[in-house]
Amino acid sequence: MATSFFSQMSLKSWRLLWGVSPRLSQLLRPSQPGLICVLAVGKKDLTDFPVLVEDELEEQFVRGSGPGGQATNKTSNCVVLKHIPTGIVVKCHQTRSVDINRKRAREIMREKLDVAYKGELSEVLVKKRESVLRKQVKRKKVNENLERKKQFKEALVAENKPGGNETL
Amino acid sequence: MWRRVLRGGHAFIGLRSGGTKALWGFHGLRACSAPALPAGCITALQAVDFWTKQFEGKGVTEPELSSRYIIAYLLGAKTIESLEQQRLKEFLSREETDQLWQLCTQRLSRMPVQYVIGEWDFRDLTLKMRPPVFIPRPETEELVEVVLTDLQRLCGSGATVLEVGCGSGAISVSLLKSLPQLKAFALDQSQEAVDLTRENALRYGVQDRLQVHNIDVVKDADALLGLCGSVAVLVSNPPYLFSQDMTTLQPEILRFEDHAALDGGKDGLNVIKQILTLAPRILPNQGRVYLEVDPRHPPLIQQWVEGNGKSLQYIETRSDICGRPRFCILQNEAPKPDQD
Repeated sequence: MATSFFSQMSLKSWRLLWGVSPRLSQLLRPSQPGLICVLAVGKKDLTDFPVLVEDELEEQFVRGSGPGGQATNKTSNCVVLKHIPTGIVVKCHQTRSVDINRKRAREIMREKLDVAYKGELSEVLVKKRESVLRKQVKRKKVNENLERKKQFKEALVAENKPGGNETL
Repeated sequence: MWRRVLRGGHAFIGLRSGGTKALWGFHGLRACSAPALPAGCITALQAVDFWTKQFEGKGVTEPELSSRYIIAYLLGAKTIESLEQQRLKEFLSREETDQLWQLCTQRLSRMPVQYVIGEWDFRDLTLKMRPPVFIPRPETEELVEVVLTDLQRLCGSGATVLEVGCGSGAISVSLLKSLPQLKAFALDQSQEAVDLTRENALRYGVQDRLQVHNIDVVKDADALLGLCGSVAVLVSNPPYLFSQDMTTLQPEILRFEDHAALDGGKDGLNVIKQILTLAPRILPNQGRVYLEVDPRHPPLIQQWVEGNGKSLQYIETRSDICGRPRFCILQNEAPKPDQD
């Protein structure tokens, strides 16, 4: 099936490319200036989301008009991330840590870019369809089991009928 | 809590010019006319709304955010967003309402939210907060990121880090949590900071790899030098504000945080210069110093190091998330002399 082949492809190409466990969450920053790639994983499922190029991102963080640093004590930590080529904007204030919100914003951005680039083939939609399919298969199995149990019960009753009930 | 703040006599400095406003402390608490408890029941959402208006009325900064964080904390969450709408529409119990009123009344006196709820997040940690120990700023999260990247690349396991001015322990505990092989020494001139750092280290199970000492690096350099052998990395978010800027600080900082954790002297470089003076004696060859500083400092530090840095070389300046020059990286270039 096209969808499962795609998932297997992702796993293989992931291992080839990065040689690390996709479950590892890493932020890679090479020492040279220029192209900096950010790997945002942190998810249990294997995904082959597009890699973010930091140079294509614009980040905004409201720190008030003051000088920042020790001179300011503000609790606002909302991060706004914009992907310049597509114009997609992600806003994140899920946690109380700016650092974590930045990382989460990038994760969300990768998901959004995936949908934008791949359309129907995007990982997000593929995963959704797979989940629906899994639920359908599960429901079918449950119903089959119930049916089997019902038939077994009926057979038992049919067996015991003529001799009367020996067990109570 | 109030007694602790009063003990630091310098805490009054910024307020003398304020005249009658200097009547903070116990008086300040009474002077803030706290609203009466509601007669009937209120929901969390209604409470957010009510207290936002209260804070706005009294000129408390971040009125809505403050309200949301305090109520979320009361309901056992970090953010309001993470709570179910259902929960937010339920009536608060009498106890919850009482506690909420107590917490929000403290915020009325401009106590930072982090002190009101006694905790705050730093990277993936939730640290205990307690006045007057300095509250970690979001910029410093990036300092940890920079140090981590270099530590992972260079040293890997078994390295030792020295942190000067640990405050609540944010930097040290963060590094230790991320690198299971790392060991650290953390120093602070404040015994309260030392205590809080130890508590946070315990909270995250890194206390066996961390030694915390009450040492003032300016007054007692010898204590530092006698303490640790060679450390791979020296990291610090030292007091770096210019003395003259102390008076313009917001009340949250002026009234509640340790001024000694902020005031870096006339040019903000008192503690920084001392750290850089000691660094060549603590760092091995290629050992690095990572500092968080005032945006005006990088060129000043670069200049100073050229004349006074001995074997220290200035490597680079990094900006913070707001684009301000914020972090200085220096390296000790002191190869061992050839042995015949």
